[in-house]
Amino acid sequence: MTWQLRRATAADVDKIMALETSIFENDAWSTEMMTRDVTDPGCYYLVAFPPDSPEHIVGYAGLQAAQRSPESDIQTIAVVKEARGRGLGRVLMLSLLTEARKRGAREAFLEVRADNPGAQHLYRSLGFEDLGVRRGYYQPDNVDAIVMRLPIPPAEMQFTDAAAPIAALAQPAEPAAPSAASAEPAPAAPARPLNRSNPLVLGIETSCDETGIGIVRGTTLLSNTIASSMDEHARYGGVVPEVAARAHLEEMVPAIRAAVAEAGIRLDEIDAIAVTSGPGLAGALMVGVGAAKSLAIALDVPIYAVNHLVGHVGADLLRGEGVTTDAPLEYPTIALLVSGGHTSLLLVRDLVSDVELLGETIDDAAGEAFDKVARVLGLPYPGGPQIDRVAATGSPTAIRFPRGLSHQKDVAKHRYDFSFSGLKTSVARWVEQKRDAGETVPINDVAASFREAVVDVLLTKAVAACTDLGVPRLLLGGGVIANARLRQVAQERTDAAGIALRIPPLSLCTDNGAMIAALGAQLIMAGKAPSTLDFGADSTLPVSLIQA
Amino acid sequence: MLLAIDTSAGTSVAVVDLTQGVIAERGVADTMRHAEVVGRLIQECLTEAGIQVSELSGVVGGMGPGPFTGLRVGIAAARVFALGIDRPLVPVISHDAIAYGHYRTGHTGPLLVVTDARRREVYWSAYSGADAAGLPVRIGAPALAKPAELLEADFVHAGLPRLDAATISAGDLGMVAELGFAAGRPNVSDEALYLRSPDVTVSTTGPKRVS
Repeated sequence: MTWQLRRATAADVDKIMALETSIFENDAWSTEMMTRDVTDPGCYYLVAFPPDSPEHIVGYAGLQAAQRSPESDIQTIAVVKEARGRGLGRVLMLSLLTEARKRGAREAFLEVRADNPGAQHLYRSLGFEDLGVRRGYYQPDNVDAIVMRLPIPPAEMQFTDAAAPIAALAQPAEPAAPSAASAEPAPAAPARPLNRSNPLVLGIETSCDETGIGIVRGTTLLSNTIASSMDEHARYGGVVPEVAARAHLEEMVPAIRAAVAEAGIRLDEIDAIAVTSGPGLAGALMVGVGAAKSLAIALDVPIYAVNHLVGHVGADLLRGEGVTTDAPLEYPTIALLVSGGHTSLLLVRDLVSDVELLGETIDDAAGEAFDKVARVLGLPYPGGPQIDRVAATGSPTAIRFPRGLSHQKDVAKHRYDFSFSGLKTSVARWVEQKRDAGETVPINDVAASFREAVVDVLLTKAVAACTDLGVPRLLLGGGVIANARLRQVAQERTDAAGIALRIPPLSLCTDNGAMIAALGAQLIMAGKAPSTLDFGADSTLPVSLIQA
Repeated sequence: MLLAIDTSAGTSVAVVDLTQGVIAERGVADTMRHAEVVGRLIQECLTEAGIQVSELSGVVGGMGPGPFTGLRVGIAAARVFALGIDRPLVPVISHDAIAYGHYRTGHTGPLLVVTDARRREVYWSAYSGADAAGLPVRIGAPALAKPAELLEADFVHAGLPRLDAATISAGDLGMVAELGFAAGRPNVSDEALYLRSPDVTVSTTGPKRVS
């Protein structure tokens, strides 16, 4: 049996939906959702049919890959029962991945039901690696999703029908010789001279609920180990600082061991330790600071106490599996950092010496707003992926929710600041009024309209900063970057404004130790003196203090 | 030779040895600056002892009980130092160090050790005396209580001579580990003794109304 593939059009949606509703009984997409994806130029849908019967669709698969976006998502794939077991799924996947690479994607992500080992086997055989688990992602069946990732090989390599081998990416050129050592007073000199050209740095990040240990050599990523206590916070509907801090203590040693093993190094080869000293949750930060100082002394190496937010920018410098681009980060650049704890706009003139805070949230962080609105809608924690999921079938224009600090009067004082508290209240009030009136709350529309309000205000202000300051570069960071709609709108708006958009791989966007190690390595290579042993955890460390 | 670290009250660090006793000890009583001072204190102790880290045969960590934020800093530092020098961690209950110090300086017989748990509560441990090795014999496990409960007639250790301590000596902590090892005693658990659940309540009513 052979099949042919062709790109799907709106005319195929009815036939696709007939398969969709029979194959995905409980969690089929809606026709609107399918139509939108199939006709979206940022997507690429294929249908498979027997050569002699072009109208007889036996399988389909879809990719989301905005042009030049470093990331792509396998949206869906389905093959009718009669056509299974003959390699059609693999052919569809390979075709999507080839298209993803053509469009410039360096990584492909997908979610697969935990109870579908056949599909998992196919993806693994194509080189996908398990990235994590999303609990209860498939509803109403309450089945976990396994999130998988494939680093897409460079263009000259073709996907073959065998497991796609992943070529080691070229090592970056040796960084330029560091400038003369700075005049800062030198703390106690380490026993051996510091390798300033290509330092092996271990980074420790504990500012929120992720215990992140990363190891880099210069700008090369060697390991990025993250132990998250997110599941423990789920029943509280948000990060509980004490729960997070206790988890850091328990995860610290196992995470360091895992990172060292993954990097294939010995601890005593480490040239320096880098650690987040702030901003973040004080009790959580303290665990990392205490551990980092102790490790630095035990290994007799210098320590660099660094700023968490600047670390998010530093993530973009890392090269290794899953990198976004080989082009160096250019300065100046605007950075938009969006997470559960932060929503900040930075002007980065130089990563190691000149970072300016343009604006930040004056109340809730964007990720916090997602969590709170999810609660209002009766969706579980963390709210971001949940809102994203239900928003997929909602209308972003159904309800006009307020855009915080966007009125003329606010813009004068808060041009680059954000506010999400009023938005959250507005959503809650809208939902309450519906419920009080005995009406059904259109959760999908509320979620889509809320998400649109957040994304709109984030990108409006970020693009305004680029335009106002004449900086044609925007870098995204923080866990909320995982939101597909945010990335999509970012791509559209920056394309329209002639701004180059950079998004590090998602694994480096969420809080992690590799970005801290990367920033530490940059400081070392720039000739900066180590921190003294007297720094503390500073929950409000200003972004202008790159090194504490 | 052991490095000992305790942050269950203030911050205390020491280098000890079974035969030489406490070789170096540094402490800061401030209960709010554990993360700031722990590194400096470790370095000063190692310098004063004049040793290389490779000469250490283990790292002693004070497991508490202690108010949680500070307690973790010392335990994290001890665990990671042990990992860094590839030597074992020796966990010791911080109250045992207080009792050991009290017996070492002449006290005999039963003893109730009491430390501040903040939030108008205290931690306590009860001891019957010191054994032949000089180690305190704990008869009542570390526990959390309201101060008034310890004064009630039906308190299980009512009437014991009471020692309220505001500081823990890492020198004593280290010696408890040295003597315990020499006497072949098993290690205590390496769990942090918070003795208190995190301050969180699970909402059963859902989100609050805004209108």
